[in-house]
This record gives sequence, structure tokens and C-alpha cells, in this order.
Amino acid sequence: MDEWKPNPAVKPHKKRSWYLAWKYKLMNQRALRKLCQTGAVLFLLVTVIVNIKLILDTRRAAYEEEEESAQDYDDEMLNVEVPRHPVNNKKVLDVEVYSSRSKVYVAVDGTTVLEDEAREQGRGIHVIVLNQATGHVMAKRVFDTYSPHEDEAMVLFLNMVARGRILIFTIKDEGSFHLKETAKNVLKSLGSQVAPFLSWRDMWTFVGKKGGEVYGEKHAKSPALSTWGDPVLLKTEVHLTSVEDAECHWPDTELNRRRKRFCSKVEGYGSVCSCKDPTPIEFNPDPLKDNKVFDVPVAVIAGNRPNYLYRMLRSLLSAQGVNPQMITVFIDGYYEEPMDVVELFGLSGIQHTPISIKNARVSQHYKASLTATFNLFPDAKFAVVLEEDLDISIDFFSFLSQSIHLLEEDESLYCISAWNDQGYEHTAEDPSLLYRVETMPGLGWVLRKSLYKDELEPKWPTPEKLWDWDMWMRMPEQRKGRECIIPDISRSYHFGIVGLNMNGYFHEAYFKKHKFNTVPNVQLKNVESLRKDNYETEIHRLLGEAEVLDHSKNPCEDSFVPDTEGRVYVMFIRMEQEADFTTWTQLAKCLHIWDLDVRGNHKGLWRLFRKKNHFLVVGVPASPYSSKKPSSVTPIYMEPPAKEEGAVALPAAAAAEQT
Amino acid sequence: MQKINRNVVLALLSLTSLVFLLFQLCYYKFYLSQKNGAAFSKVRGSQSGQDSTRWHVVRKFLGLISSHNIPVYLIDPLILRLVDKDIEQIRSSPDGPSPECKYFCAPRDFTTFALLDKTLKHEVGLLRTAEKMGFQWLKIINKDPRLDGMADLSGMEIPLHYIFKLASHAIHLVVFYERSGNFLWHGPLRLKQHMDKKFVPFRKLHFGRYPGAYEKPELLLVSIDDLKVQIPKNPSSFLEEMSHSRFLECRYKEARAFFQLYPDDASLDAVEFRKKAKSLLHLAALTLNNLGVKFWLSSGTCLGWYRQCNVIPHSKDVDLGIFIRDYKADIIPAFQKAGLPLKHKFGKVEDSLELSFQGEDDVKLDIFFFYEEDDHVWNGGTQAKSGKKFKYLFPKFTLCWTEFVELKVHVPCETLQYVEANYGPEWKVPVKTWDWKSSPSNVQDNGVWPVDEWDNVIQIY
Repeated sequence: MDEWKPNPAVKPHKKRSWYLAWKYKLMNQRALRKLCQTGAVLFLLVTVIVNIKLILDTRRAAYEEEEESAQDYDDEMLNVEVPRHPVNNKKVLDVEVYSSRSKVYVAVDGTTVLEDEAREQGRGIHVIVLNQATGHVMAKRVFDTYSPHEDEAMVLFLNMVARGRILIFTIKDEGSFHLKETAKNVLKSLGSQVAPFLSWRDMWTFVGKKGGEVYGEKHAKSPALSTWGDPVLLKTEVHLTSVEDAECHWPDTELNRRRKRFCSKVEGYGSVCSCKDPTPIEFNPDPLKDNKVFDVPVAVIAGNRPNYLYRMLRSLLSAQGVNPQMITVFIDGYYEEPMDVVELFGLSGIQHTPISIKNARVSQHYKASLTATFNLFPDAKFAVVLEEDLDISIDFFSFLSQSIHLLEEDESLYCISAWNDQGYEHTAEDPSLLYRVETMPGLGWVLRKSLYKDELEPKWPTPEKLWDWDMWMRMPEQRKGRECIIPDISRSYHFGIVGLNMNGYFHEAYFKKHKFNTVPNVQLKNVESLRKDNYETEIHRLLGEAEVLDHSKNPCEDSFVPDTEGRVYVMFIRMEQEADFTTWTQLAKCLHIWDLDVRGNHKGLWRLFRKKNHFLVVGVPASPYSSKKPSSVTPIYMEPPAKEEGAVALPAAAAAEQT
Repeated sequence: MQKINRNVVLALLSLTSLVFLLFQLCYYKFYLSQKNGAAFSKVRGSQSGQDSTRWHVVRKFLGLISSHNIPVYLIDPLILRLVDKDIEQIRSSPDGPSPECKYFCAPRDFTTFALLDKTLKHEVGLLRTAEKMGFQWLKIINKDPRLDGMADLSGMEIPLHYIFKLASHAIHLVVFYERSGNFLWHGPLRLKQHMDKKFVPFRKLHFGRYPGAYEKPELLLVSIDDLKVQIPKNPSSFLEEMSHSRFLECRYKEARAFFQLYPDDASLDAVEFRKKAKSLLHLAALTLNNLGVKFWLSSGTCLGWYRQCNVIPHSKDVDLGIFIRDYKADIIPAFQKAGLPLKHKFGKVEDSLELSFQGEDDVKLDIFFFYEEDDHVWNGGTQAKSGKKFKYLFPKFTLCWTEFVELKVHVPCETLQYVEANYGPEWKVPVKTWDWKSSPSNVQDNGVWPVDEWDNVIQIY
């Protein structure tokens, strides 16, 4: 196109003449020339307009793109609250503590953190622990030091509280009757001047820093045995320290960040929060070779007993072959502290809005937890169900890994349980031995998904039925004659003392002396013999080799079983029909094993150990094994004691706890 | 002379403006294409449209992932499409060095990978390492849909998407979860208010507009562009699956509200019927899937899903829909082989086909075939004793996946319109007496079968 331009420097003749001709033509056609000029001007104008429009368009498009880029993906929820951080620059806390016969309360900066005016409740010393940097409540306890041993629990608790924490004490009703010297000395060491002289029905409040200053103390003496001291109200100020000072300086790792979060929120977990040499929160137990339960989900059913949960999870995570990724903790209620414990161990937790009351609430919680477990792990064929008040044996998963194939293949099985109802210190002996029993022990067990999804879930007791889920599961309509596999020595230990159907006395009588396996990697004996038909062969073999005991002696006496080891003995008791457990219950009572209802039987046969000998009890004539009875032997009959009022009611209620 | 000058000047100006206009046009076209993400080069002046930044970012990301032992696989549709063309060659030479950067150098904003949730361990550690390597990351979490069906559980929120950004390229990591029904699910990508909406151009993402359902893929380790990555063994079927993977969650909240109004039937009969209906549906799904016949929940079964996320206990049968274009003659023998004898057959392939199979104890499986017209679809009904024909009209719909009684099945995406067409605006109220000839609000009389055809179009066994 260059040639086209008129260039005066170079004027090729040919082009010049062409140009002149063109010019001449134009000159001669004035109108056309004019037209061209106007056209050109118009064209220029259009260009300008197009240009402007283009610029505007691109700018708008660019702007829109930015705007729109995220619009589609915006969460429809507009009220996502940005967590507010209470900017509390205040360095001083106002603390109010009130102590009286019928009411106690503690207010921090005007917020009531404790208020108890319920009748017949909350007697003793209330203790509150505050974080010295934030003023948050980290623990709340009440120790009924009117009753024995509660002061020991208090000492234990106070010793666990980290140095520097703020402690608040107040007495409701009475707190000195069983407050022993040791406890008084601990209170004295905290700076209390009154504690050593606390006496009957005195009122007392105290605020101090552990291992540091005292912020205030007030005391009102009881004038006479029959009256209480006057109510006291202590108002004081507490100086907050910086967050830096309140925290330990652990190396910055992922684990320690979890630890830090936990320790700045709650108190009373002892060495896990100690600055120097804290106890580990990751355990790395040995993996199991050929672990068949590595992919089996574990549901931990929990309520609001965070200290129990802490102990339970420690033992669970220490068990060989554990897979933390498969563990889910289901918390019944929106409690913070159990969730804190779950997060400390890096596990996942799910909270459940309580439905219904008492036993039905537990039962609904179980249902929700089991359904959720199978939803979360759709591939799982089984689920391990645990509770927050169980210690888990080191070989728990090894035990399951060796036996789980039975549950998959043997239709006549209902569950595998880690708990032997009759496995006490004096009645269990062999960690490698398994039984088949007609009762469902619970307390650490494996549930088959098909059983749950096809049978149990659709007809699970509804919230208005105040049934125990485990009692319901034991009913013949559900169990349908199927049995559970249990070990001779339990792989779980029930340590809960506080619970829905639980108290200290009950625990002492029925749970404390339970045997618990502590040996790792136990190789189970002859697992195949647990299959339905094999088991009958095995029992017949056992009965064939068993020596019949002297039935003229008293079976409750120790001398009933000879002083031998490793022998098999059999005794016969009277059992008129399948449901006649009169003699068995009396025998269980005198042997100090579970006698509140019948547990651990298989076709009228009970298997346990006495003096390290295998001890078989056969109910005659109801049991099919009665034929093994020599004709000369008369089955033993034990009469129930004359019924006392209430003696019957208790077992029924108490039996419910065996879950 | 002056006149000449003016002409020359005008001509010159016109010319320049023409050139300018052309230039603008080019720019505009270029700009548009950039917006569509088709041919945009971030690295200006890079040769032959290659983007080595992308390759480096992907390599770095794969390094990060493998250092944490997390298996990811490539699901980027654009790359998989390219890979699919050369799949034979890639399969046969898994380790050979590639002469040119063919797949990971096409300049794009994103490369998409997938991850199975249970393989994601030590997430905190992973994100920290990512930061150290220079990645900026964004994590999108939301409620766990597997717990959604249960009113009173509040679990922790689960991660659905991760985006790792480095320089001008971003890695989109989609987290897949296993769901009941033996399939994988990924969540939608929704930004919460406080999130950076300009972190990446979210609209260009290939995953996240809707939740999706996929079969568990078989994976293949390949080396492309000198990078070792896992890809779906069959990229073309994965791409095919992707194109209609949209997943609909059941409306659990509305279902709970429904049960508040009309408490669920917990009688033994209801429990038994649900159990049977569920196993019948499982069997039907297995049979049809083996044949490769696409089906969806229809009529009462669809209503049960939509209204109460469960089988309606008083419905007494299981209803499925199939487009007539998907009809196969093998359907009847396949069901018979599966233990479901044909109960009746109404209509013919050309008109109003309907099959009924006898399940266990009186539970019936009804299969309705749907005929597509320009602006609606319909299925037919036949009254056995009179030979009367009926026609049920539905608005056009597409199919979505959902989870129902531990099964991955199709439902119409436009479920409300579908249900309303069938049951009218009062579909929320349970009705126990239902006459299929008069109750549906979309029924039309469609004449009578000619008597000589009866033997063919009305078969009852």
C-alpha cells in the first residue's frame, strides 16, 4: 500500500500519471469528490463512536466479570456469623462468691457462672477453676465433703489443676464433716487461713491463685450444732495475666496446638496439660498383622462425662491395631467439654440433640449413632460399638480380628462381645478361650450391618417407649435364638461409677472385680469350634472328659472343687424348664458373680472357672446336655431365700445398667 | 493543490481509522475468547500457546501430594479429552519420556484433581507444607449430607473442595465421599460470606456448580508430559459420566416437616412392606443397570422420595419410568431370570407400553415407558376389562442422580413439576385411596384399543 501514497521524493512516472489521471477525473466530477469527502468524514465519525462504545463495553464486561465470578457460588446462607472475638482488654475481673445453707452462687464480671439453690442437692464444697488470662471457666466441680472419701477426690482434683489458675471455693449446706487433715492442708497451702479450722455447718468462700496470691476469703462460723453460719458474700478483684504467661511453651507441632487449645479451655485432666513433659496424646500402638477389623468403623457412645471419655479414648487409641480414622464419638447433647476431649485426640465427634428422657433418650441416641455410623461408612459390613465408660484391652482389635469372620459366615450369631458377664477375677482364667452365649452382653461389641439395617433399625423402640435398647435387643423377638461370642477374660472393663443406672455401691458389687485382659497379642484357641455345629461337638467332648463333682457337698463352699489346676469338672443343678433359673441364681449369688438376671448360658449350660479348673454347670432336665448326667447323681437344688420387700425390685432396675 | 491535500489527508485518515477499526475488532475477539477461557495465554510471548507455568505448578502439586502419601487422580475434563485421544499410546508406553508438552502446557486457569475423603490424612500438615511451597489455598467446607437425613445430629463440617493457587495457575482438588448405594459423591462449591470471592475465577471451574454422583472409578497410573499421574482407566466413560452427573439431595428438612404433620406408619406391616419394596427396587436396579437401561423413580415411588425420603408404606408397589427409546426386548427375560415373572403387559412399543412384574408377596414392580413429544412427554395406561386407553402428560424433564434406600438412582431433576403434574398441587397431603384412571391430575382419555389388537396389547398372566 506504500506505493499508493503520494511520495514526492520518488515519483515513478507510471504511477504519477495514473494519479494525475485519477485527480483529473475527480476534479471533473466535483459532486463525486464532495461525496467521497463526506463519506470519509462520516466514516471517521463512525470509527470514533465504535471506539468509544468498545472502550465502554470492555470496561463494563471486565467489571461484571469480577462481580459475577463468584456470584453463582455464593452460599445462600447469608447470615453466616463471623465469629466475634470478645475484645476484653480489661485486666481486672470482678468476682462475687456467695455461700449459705441453701444457696451458692459465683459471678465473674457480672456473669453468673454457678448458681445452685436446689434442695437436697449440691451439698459440700463447690470449686470453680478460671483461666488466669481470659477469665473463662475451665472446670466446675462439687465435692460432697459431708460424705466420706469425697475430700480425697477433691485433693486429687486440686493437685491436677495447673499452677497459676484461679480457684474459687464456696460451701453449700455442710462441707466439713468428712474434710480430713490432708484436704485441709491442701487448702491451707493454697493460702486459705480458715480452712484448717473449718467446722460443722460453717459457711466459707475463698478465691486464690494456685501457687500464688490470695484474692479474698470470708468465713461465718456456725454458732451452734443445730444452726448454720450466716450467709457470706465475698466480693473481690482478680488481676488477669497475659495469655503468654498462662500458656505452656511446648514445641509448635500439630499435636501441641491441639493440646494448647484443649488446655486453655478445660482443667482437671492432669498431666496432659503439664508444661514440663506432658503426657502424650498420640500413642502409635503396634499395628496388627493381617488386621481384619482395620476398616471397621468404631462408634463411641458418649454423654456428658468428659473425664470418662478421656480415659476411654486413651485406652482405645492405645489398643494395638486401632485405626483412629474409623472412630466417631457420638455425644448425646451439645456439651462442650466432651467435644474438647474428642478434638484433643484429633478424632471426629458428632453431637446429638437429646430426644425423650432417661432410658428412651439413651436408646434414641444409640439409634442415631448406629444409623449415622453406617451412613458415614457405607462400605462397612460391621460396626464396633463402645461406650464412654469402658477401658479397652490392648488386644481388643486382635481379639476381633481373629473372630470377626464367624459373624460374617455364621447366621446363628447375633454379635461378638468383648465382655463376659460372668468373667470375674475368681471365675475367668483363659485369655484364649471363647464361648457362645444366649445373652447379649454389650459393653464393647460388634454389630452386623445387615442385622441393624434389615431388622433392628426399622422397628427400633420409638422415643415414647421408655425401654432400654439393650433389654430390647435381648428380647426373643429380636434375638430370634441367635447367640453371641464372648471371651472368657473380658476385653473391656466397665469403670463408670456415675451413670443413669449406676452408683458406687452397685459398681463395687458387680463390676470392680471383673477380670480384664492386659496381655497383648493373645492367640485365640480353636476359633472354628465356635461355629454352631462345631460348638456342640466341642461341648460334648468337654462333658465327656469332665469329672463329676461330689454332689453331696455344698456347691458354695470352696471345698466343692478339689485343689487341682487345669482339670474339667461338671456339676448338675435342678432346672425344670428352660426358664427355671431358681437354683442357678442362688449359685451365682454365692459364687459372687452376676446374679441380677441370667447371663452367659448356652442351652442350660454355664461355663466358668473355679480354682483354675474349668467348671461346667448343667441344668437338669431342661438342658439337652442332661443326658451326660450319671444316673446316680441327684441334681442340686438351692432354695431362694424368703423374699424381702424391695429385694426383688432392685435387681430389675439395676440389671438395666449392664449395658 | 490545497484541494488535493485535503483529499489526501481525508483518505489517509480514513485508512488509519480502518486499520484501527480492524485492530479493535481483533482485540475484541481476543478479549471474548479470553473470557471463555479458550485461548488465553498468561505468559505473554510464550511460544505456540504453551504455558510452562501450569506444568510447573502441577508438578509441584503432585510433589506435595505424594510427599504426604495422598493418592489423587486427574479428572480435568479438558486434559482427559486430550488423553482419551491418545489413550492407546499412553497405555502402551507408561514410562517413555514425552518429546513435547502436550497436555499440561495448554494455558488454562485450572487443573482439576480428585481425592477420596478417606485417603486424606493429616490435612493440617498438608496445608502447612503447601504454604511453605508457596501455594495459597482455599478450603470449602459444608455440612455432611450423609448426616443430613438425621434431624438431631450435628457433625463437624466436612471439606468439599480445595483450591491451591500458585502464580497464575490453580489446582482444584475435589473431595469425593462414599455414599450408601456404593457410589462417590462430591459437594457443590458454595462460598461463605467472608471468603475471598476473587481468589480464583470460580465460574470457570468444571466441578462444583452442582453436587455430583459417580461410580467408583478404576484408576490407571500413567506418565504424561513427564508427570506421573493417576487417571480414570477409561477417560471417555468418565467424561460421559461427568456430563450427566448432577446429584439431587433428598429434601430431608421438608420430609421431617411432613412426618411432623403425618407421623410415619411404624406398624409391622409398614416395616415389612418397606423392606420388600427396598429389596425389589435393588433387584430391579441391578437388572436394568446390567442391561444398560436408564430408568428413574416414577409415580408413587418418586413421590415417596420427594415428599418423605422413603417408600410410602401404603403404596403397595414400586414404580419406575423408562424412555421408550431405551426400550430393549431383553427387559422381560432379564426380569424373569431375576425371579420376577411378568404379571401383565399393556400396549406395545409404538404406543402406551407398560410392564408389570410380580415381586415377592404381592409387591408389584410397574415399569412405565415414556414417549417424548416436542413440548411434553407422556406415558400410557390401559384398562384391562374395557380396553380403554389413558394418557398421562408430563412437562419435559432431565434426569438427576439421587440416593434412595441405599441405592444410586435417577429421578427427574425438575421433580416438583413432575410430581405436581402427576399428583396436583395437593401432593403434600397423603391420600390412601388412589384410582390410577381418575385421580392423577394429568390423565387424559386416549381412546380405546381396537378389539383385534387386544390379544397383543392386553396381556395378563
